[in-house]
Amino acid sequence: MDGDQGGLTIERVTAPPPAAPRGRRIDPSRYARLALLAPTLAITLVCFVVPLALIALYSFGSVNQVDFNVFFGWTTGNYRAFTSSLYLHTLARSVVLSVSTTLACAVIGFTFAYFISRQSPRAQRLLLVAVIVPFWTSFIVRTYSWVDLLQNLGPIDRFARALGLHGHIDILYTQYSIGIGILYSYLPLMILPIYVSLERIDPALFDAAEDLGATPWRQFRRVVLPMAVPGLIAGVIIVGVPALGEYVIPEVLGGGKTLMAGNILADQFLQTGNYPFGSALAVSIMVVLMVLLFLLRRAQPAADPQ
Amino acid sequence: MSVRRHPFAAGVSLLVLLFLWLPLIGVAVNSFNQQTIMAGWGGFTTHWYGLALHDQNVRTGLETTLYIAIASALLSLAIAVSGALWWRRASPKARAVYDGLIYARIILPEVVSATALFFLFLKIHFTLGLTAIVIGHTVWNSAYAAIIVQARMAGLDPALEEAAADLGATPWRTFRRVTFAALLPAIIAAGLLAFTFSFDDVVTSVFLQGASNTPLPVVILGMIRFRITPEINAIGLLVMLFTVTLMSVAVLIYATAGSLGRSGRRGNMLDIYRGR
Amino acid sequence: MTDSAVDINGVEKRFGDLVAVRNLDLRIERGEFFSIIGPSGCGKTTTLRMIAGFEEPTAGRISVGGRDMTGVRPYRRPVNTVFQSYALFPHLDVFENVAFGLREAKVAKAEVRTRVDEAVALVQLQGRERARPRQLSGGQQQRVALARALVNRPEVLLLDEPLGALDLKLRTDMQTQLKDLQRSVGVTFCYVTHDQGEAFSMSDRVAVMNHGLLEQVGTPEEIYHRPASSFVADFVGTANRFAGRVESVQADRYSVAIDGVGLRTAGGPAGLTAGTPVLVLVRPENLQLDGVSDEGRADLDARVVDTAFLGAERTVRLQSPRLGELTATARGSGRAPDPESRVRLSWSDDDAWLIPAAGPDAG
Repeated sequence: MDGDQGGLTIERVTAPPPAAPRGRRIDPSRYARLALLAPTLAITLVCFVVPLALIALYSFGSVNQVDFNVFFGWTTGNYRAFTSSLYLHTLARSVVLSVSTTLACAVIGFTFAYFISRQSPRAQRLLLVAVIVPFWTSFIVRTYSWVDLLQNLGPIDRFARALGLHGHIDILYTQYSIGIGILYSYLPLMILPIYVSLERIDPALFDAAEDLGATPWRQFRRVVLPMAVPGLIAGVIIVGVPALGEYVIPEVLGGGKTLMAGNILADQFLQTGNYPFGSALAVSIMVVLMVLLFLLRRAQPAADPQ
Repeated sequence: MSVRRHPFAAGVSLLVLLFLWLPLIGVAVNSFNQQTIMAGWGGFTTHWYGLALHDQNVRTGLETTLYIAIASALLSLAIAVSGALWWRRASPKARAVYDGLIYARIILPEVVSATALFFLFLKIHFTLGLTAIVIGHTVWNSAYAAIIVQARMAGLDPALEEAAADLGATPWRTFRRVTFAALLPAIIAAGLLAFTFSFDDVVTSVFLQGASNTPLPVVILGMIRFRITPEINAIGLLVMLFTVTLMSVAVLIYATAGSLGRSGRRGNMLDIYRGR
Repeated sequence: MTDSAVDINGVEKRFGDLVAVRNLDLRIERGEFFSIIGPSGCGKTTTLRMIAGFEEPTAGRISVGGRDMTGVRPYRRPVNTVFQSYALFPHLDVFENVAFGLREAKVAKAEVRTRVDEAVALVQLQGRERARPRQLSGGQQQRVALARALVNRPEVLLLDEPLGALDLKLRTDMQTQLKDLQRSVGVTFCYVTHDQGEAFSMSDRVAVMNHGLLEQVGTPEEIYHRPASSFVADFVGTANRFAGRVESVQADRYSVAIDGVGLRTAGGPAGLTAGTPVLVLVRPENLQLDGVSDEGRADLDARVVDTAFLGAERTVRLQSPRLGELTATARGSGRAPDPESRVRLSWSDDDAWLIPAAGPDAG
């Protein structure tokens, strides 16, 4: 800009307008971005990370049995208390129940998901709705519905009697009714991810396997099963983990007599006030969960999705 | 054809469908059953519905639950949407941490996160009650909402926003007319889902309710513990119909939302199946 | 009969009301590179799938290596397929993909190792044995698919548009490689494509299909220069056609009266009788253009409408008062004729070929 009138005019015609700071215009500034993250950060840190750290800390503390004051003492006594006969039985039952129901879910869920994936698209949609809708109904009502079915003189009992079975079916408020309840509530969570991984299999792969000499059974063994592994792993995680910490189902179908780890944990906080022991239980559930996730993640590469 | 080719799978599947549906049908049938002990059919009645609708505990429970569910859904959406906007411009490393924490919030058994939060509130002398429950639900709901909103955000082609800017829209107008408009189906779906989860929740509410009014699911839990009456079946059927309707609306909105340009794909019913 | 690799006899395939393939007779000789070409929906892929066994013919019989394949499931057939989408198993690495068929055939471990190594070397993928399919480029995936099929030493290798997903440059490279490969392993190839150039460049013989019917089988030269129908002539290239009528038959040639041109001779299929309405085909490269036409036969004059430069050659669009719109190709190196200039057209009688004018595919 030479300051002379004519030059200025030329300048204005030829030079492009000052380039809009493109990056900055679309990207919010640093502070604005931090502001966007703040709500998530607050809820995650304050209401999730901090409380978990707190109970992790307290799980090594101890409680005064008289005035219920908690004090720290870096003791592992709370963890050793698991082995007392009072809890060991329940903890063992929790593990057995969650593992066995997860396995049952996996086997039944896989069979059902496989069946769905082999239907026409229309039938697939219908079957998926049939799986999902029960799952959308109220959790508490779903769980409770088994009380009606399993009770003495209920439909299942009557059916068994009509068949002339020895004695009668009396499994309500036992670990079997809890198992049925868990299976019932979590089965759809197993079916859906397995279905998703089965549905992703390119049908040409079946042709290819058949072309390379694989009989229908071998196609299933060498193509379907390995390709369903990612879905199976996802299913095992989203069924097995909550099952281990289940609270409502044993509460309703265990009738307050047959309990699982989740109920003992809740009791420590809501009733007996033994927070350090409760914390130790919660931490143990988290540790089991982390080990499980780690193992499953290790299993994943062997069965890479896509 | 498929049934004939897979007789075993077909048999198992039939049993699974019976297994999934019979209990619900049982609840529906018994809600109209005159017989009190529900050991057989005693004739048709709508008596239990009258009883349920006039039960003061149920009515307060419903009001409490609605308040909690609406508050938690709104709070969760605010967190999820702002988080998704941040996520879009975040570095891969920051994203990984963010995603990891979201999955951790979803996957941890509810009884663990609820007790931890209960303990924290106790330590900092935060009064338990409705606010505490709303916060507790939001820990989980916001994570779930974030996944849904983020999934749609990931499918949003940046070229759409560049096109809007190119056509003269200011950043704010671009956000409103393109970004927000594209996210809207996911936002509505996520809101409805958060509402439903909150509406249905027992565990967190049990821990955090303190001395406040009891939410409906906890009222039901109490009724089950106390005595089983056909009234519960009537409440149960109404609650089930309500949640199924909400979930169906959420899925329909999400699944019928249009594609989002180049990298976009249509939503799918399976994207938002529910994890507890 | 015993010498043919594939023998297709009176095969028909219906899907509901749709007839995908009708009355097909085809013989593929041992060791030849055979292609089936045609537009999409012509029945070529269905034919291939019937040979592979994924579809059963509604009527007729298919033999492979002299053995009747009726009712034989794909996993029992001595053929292997290279799929259009490659259909590589995503959960298996390159080695295991290639070994898939050998393991199904219960081949001993040591032999699996050597044969897979050989096959991988054959397609030049040494060192990538442990890679997953999605870590490979399109061309590499294509070669894995090829190795996976060839390692089983099939009597016939079926290839379903295997180069369709590759870009042009890679496609041309792969054509050469495929042809070399086929020569070196000596396996019968049955190759399906919609791209006539691809088929011509590799094949010993080509079959042209249209609407489920076989139009013609022959060497690429026969198909190109002596097409059996107007459809074939168009499918494998551009053809100028002039309406006319057979005047007389002389040994293997015909004397034909071309409307607006006069009496010329041309080759043609046997059995045409005097008076038959015909089309005379002349390929663009056989149409000679001579500078200016100052005198002589006005009916072979044409006006240049437009030229298009393609590198090695140049396409010239012409408008002739008597013959209508024509296309000629000229060498790309010469000077382009100016638009609107007048040129004189001619062709050698040896380059003219007759096809009967009446017929389902005429026009």
